[in-house]
Amino acid sequence: MTTVETQLFQTEQEELISGSEAIAIACALADVDVITAYPIRPYDTVMQYVSKLKADGVFDCDFIVAESEHSQFEIVKHASAVGARTFCGSSGVGWFYAFEAITVTAGLRMPVVAMVGNRALDDPGAFGTEHNDALAVRDLGWMLYWVATAQEALDIALLSWRVAEDPRVLLPMAISCDGSFLTHSQAIVNVPTSEQVRKFLPPYDRGKLQLHPDNPITIAPQVNEDWLMEIRRQSDEAMHRSVAVIEEAYADFKKTFNRGDPSAFIEEYMTEDAEILIVGMGTLALPVRVAIRRMREAGKKVGFVRIKFFRPFPTEELQRVLGGVKAVCVIDRDYSFGSPSFAGVLFHELRSTLYPLEKRPLMLNFIAGLGGREIHTNDVNHMVDIVQKAIDTGKIEQEATWIGVRE
Amino acid sequence: MSTVAVEVVYRGIFQKSLARNIVRNIVFAARKDGKIGTAFGRYGDSPERNGIPAKQFAVVADNAEELEETLAQYEPTEVDVTINVDDTLCKGVESWAWYGLQPINQLTKPGGTLIVTSRQDADSLIRDMHQKDSPIGLSILKSTVSFSGLWVYKDDHTDVRVLGNLCNVCPQLVSLKSMLETIREQTGSETKVASAQKAYDTATIRQVEPGEGNPEIPYSFVLPGWKEMQEGVVIKAIEAGGGFRGGEGGYQPVRNEVFKKYSTRSMRPVINFETCIKCTLCWLQCPDTCFDVTPDGLYDANMESCCGCGVCEAVCPVPDCVTMVGEAEFEDNNSQWEMWQKDKEGYNSWMTLLVDKQKSETRTHGFHHVGGYAEEIANTEEVS
Amino acid sequence: MTTVTQDLPPVKGVKNIPLEEQFTSGHRTCQGCESALVMRLMIKAAGPRTIVLGSTGCMYVANTTYYSTPWVVPWMHTQLGSSGSAATGTAAGLASMMRKGKMKQEPINVIAFCGDGGGADMGLSAISATLQHEEYNLLILMYDNESYANTDIQVSGSSPWGANSTFSPPGTLHRIMNRRWKKNTAGMLAVGHPQVRYIATGCASYATDMMNKVRKALSIGGPTFIHTLDPCPKGWDYDPMYSHELGMLAVQTGIWVQYEVEDGKVTLNGPSKMLAKGKKRLPVEEYLKRQGRFAHFTKEDIAYYQSQIDVMWEKWWIPGVIPPSPEDD
Repeated sequence: MTTVETQLFQTEQEELISGSEAIAIACALADVDVITAYPIRPYDTVMQYVSKLKADGVFDCDFIVAESEHSQFEIVKHASAVGARTFCGSSGVGWFYAFEAITVTAGLRMPVVAMVGNRALDDPGAFGTEHNDALAVRDLGWMLYWVATAQEALDIALLSWRVAEDPRVLLPMAISCDGSFLTHSQAIVNVPTSEQVRKFLPPYDRGKLQLHPDNPITIAPQVNEDWLMEIRRQSDEAMHRSVAVIEEAYADFKKTFNRGDPSAFIEEYMTEDAEILIVGMGTLALPVRVAIRRMREAGKKVGFVRIKFFRPFPTEELQRVLGGVKAVCVIDRDYSFGSPSFAGVLFHELRSTLYPLEKRPLMLNFIAGLGGREIHTNDVNHMVDIVQKAIDTGKIEQEATWIGVRE
Repeated sequence: MSTVAVEVVYRGIFQKSLARNIVRNIVFAARKDGKIGTAFGRYGDSPERNGIPAKQFAVVADNAEELEETLAQYEPTEVDVTINVDDTLCKGVESWAWYGLQPINQLTKPGGTLIVTSRQDADSLIRDMHQKDSPIGLSILKSTVSFSGLWVYKDDHTDVRVLGNLCNVCPQLVSLKSMLETIREQTGSETKVASAQKAYDTATIRQVEPGEGNPEIPYSFVLPGWKEMQEGVVIKAIEAGGGFRGGEGGYQPVRNEVFKKYSTRSMRPVINFETCIKCTLCWLQCPDTCFDVTPDGLYDANMESCCGCGVCEAVCPVPDCVTMVGEAEFEDNNSQWEMWQKDKEGYNSWMTLLVDKQKSETRTHGFHHVGGYAEEIANTEEVS
Repeated sequence: MTTVTQDLPPVKGVKNIPLEEQFTSGHRTCQGCESALVMRLMIKAAGPRTIVLGSTGCMYVANTTYYSTPWVVPWMHTQLGSSGSAATGTAAGLASMMRKGKMKQEPINVIAFCGDGGGADMGLSAISATLQHEEYNLLILMYDNESYANTDIQVSGSSPWGANSTFSPPGTLHRIMNRRWKKNTAGMLAVGHPQVRYIATGCASYATDMMNKVRKALSIGGPTFIHTLDPCPKGWDYDPMYSHELGMLAVQTGIWVQYEVEDGKVTLNGPSKMLAKGKKRLPVEEYLKRQGRFAHFTKEDIAYYQSQIDVMWEKWWIPGVIPPSPEDD
């Protein structure tokens, strides 16, 4: 590899950067070959930084500004087919504009890594964060991860190529970053060296599936009912296999970079002896942790579980952690209009996760922070009060409650 | 009684409207008999490719509950009557969606009937059909095979004549009375009603016994499981070709292993190797890469990939050097060049015979010019 | 930075056309499918060191099915509107990896094809964007059979005025349902992307000419575009044996213009050049009356069609390429 190396990656060092910029630096560290961009807030901050890194010769990639999100995702899909390491991304309705390309990328088993700068879906236009954009691909064969900090954004980006490109997996992966809180806020991030990254991240080798005159193959011929179920089953199996690959890669990551959580899939915060566990994804973890610390000081047995991997979904781990508690308080920064209990997407996933348990906790859902509305510690307290009431009365008055909405 | 099913096997697009008229009229007539039915095309054949074999079905039942058994299926598991509106399909059916080669009588149930529109006699048709282990009836409707295109229908009464014949060989399907009334309503033509009546009156059945017909076991293909299939929706490409018949000179492409076009054509080119001037046009203009180039620079049409379009005949500058001949004339898919090499005189006289016979036949493959069908129909005598 | 291209000199005469086939059997296209012939000639001209990207349409669905591919060269499906993006992504991936030493340096032809639905309609913006990337060597070939032929013949932006289709059937109240005139795709792309080194029209009825256009497009460097007119026996409704003849009639009546735009220079070639020099055009009726899709045309319809072709040849700045006529005309 002939990456143009600068000061930046020769020694470990701290940078004051946003989550977007952290992922852009990860692209340079991973020596990504083809990157496609199309402007839409808030994700495009990553591409602004990628273009600068390329312009300054920090790293060498083919940076292509497409004429639409659809083309943006189609271009990297095809670059991936010939064996190139790829990155792209989008937000909100831009992600939806690319939907056809997004679904075939998974169907073709192309390990494209994408950043989703979570953004509310139009109409009306809004820049704030909501998780419905990224969640829309949950059934298609994309691995989905929600990060909470800029450091985690950089770390997980590196993990993404390692897992996605693993021959046992070959599935695309999306890194979800809350708009504004991650895409537009800078934090101190430890940037590893190229040397460390090279140790952790092997080159992408597509092997027998690579499209090249030396390996004459036909990719994605038309099929009929005689074939498609077998092809779907293969993707299902790849997603099954990704669980072990993620564990293996995360263990290796922690060894190489000396940081990380006990689990690659979830973050547990003060879950020990907790009676109430709050569950959520993304940056809402931060106010929640603060609120929990204060409640703990007040002697309340509350804890928090942050789901990091939404796909593959950490079923067993969540059953183990949530199984014993009295009540589970699910915060959704999304909606699923008309769904069971008129609740949020994460709530439904968790309810089906816990259903097989002998002893099922009470489950309450809170729709909060839509359109990027802030979630404050007192919102969290309010939720916990409602949950406590349900525990005390043994009765759930309302399964899904909208928090912080004006009546 | 339960359901009665009919399939129409036809050439895609060329006979789409014909097949549609047949299956729809069956269902209309069944209503008049107080029954209920459904008409549908085999989904795998759609969108149809012209000349490529396809199927449509009509299923009739006494009531809606019985009909349900046959709904939400691509094709019935067996049919009471198979209607073959292109006699060359007696050799088998390979749809473009490819279910392997299906014998023409594959779905015909024991004791069922195969209706064929043809000018051939029973023996030559049976010779093409694959053997079955149970007897079926063969009913030949004397007729020039009717081809037209997507937009202009060649209204030569083939549809109503088939329906009249059908009422005779399968009385449990619909009554003649209801069928004639349906034809009257649908077409408003008394001559068509008369055509149907005549076909009913003159219909004949000849028993085809087990062991009669083509003994060949059709090519079959075992579908691999998901663990055997390459991931990433990947299959291997065709290998690079080489010299003619594996030799040094000439050229012969490697051809797809699983899909042969043996039954996707109703005609095939016959080459006069003596008059060929090696102009390359038949080879160059062939959309199906079907010409193998011999070491002596001649062009041998390979029946694995010829789908019988006739472009080679159209572009050949030498009179009668390439002639499209009806598929019924052939019993194998052997190389004409090899025949010619073995016995030039024998080949030449065989070829001349076929070419002359072809000239006397009027078998068209669709629209030629505005008003063309009217002229053709005027020349056919079947119309009552 | 443009990597070197393959050296593909023009083939001189049919006798010198390579025997090697890169597109053989396995496809299930219609009898007399001229687009299948375009595929065969295209890849025969390009040779084995080529990657082909095929967007959805007949040449995907009927042409390349599971375990039944006709392709000798590496081939990959792309989405209906993605021929441009597929070519860009493939060329970019190869260029990037070769430049960085991750893949052996070698000129590999990249060809993406699309039908008129995928190119003239849905994929137009992606093709336009692709033609702006001078650093990538690729060819986009639009095989134009003048309808969404795969999905059952629905009218496209490239269908001729008045043609019968399953979305424009002549009815008792409206005889002419398609009132759109055929989109001038190659001309629009040539005029709109002056930096593109090569854009041409072709027709498989003139096989050597078409193959040489493909070879020039692949060797000249940068993104290039070829638009072929492919008679479609299914959608146009004619006996398949006349595919070749109808292609010639389209050119001889002046309905289809054969030309090249090379480094900004426009050349009408073949019979089209003769027509421009004053050779008499055949009446369009000779072409129209041979196709069932025009069988509903009245004398007036044919006269209107003829008048539009006359305008193109007598009034256009460049027949088939640039419509506006000079002010002083």
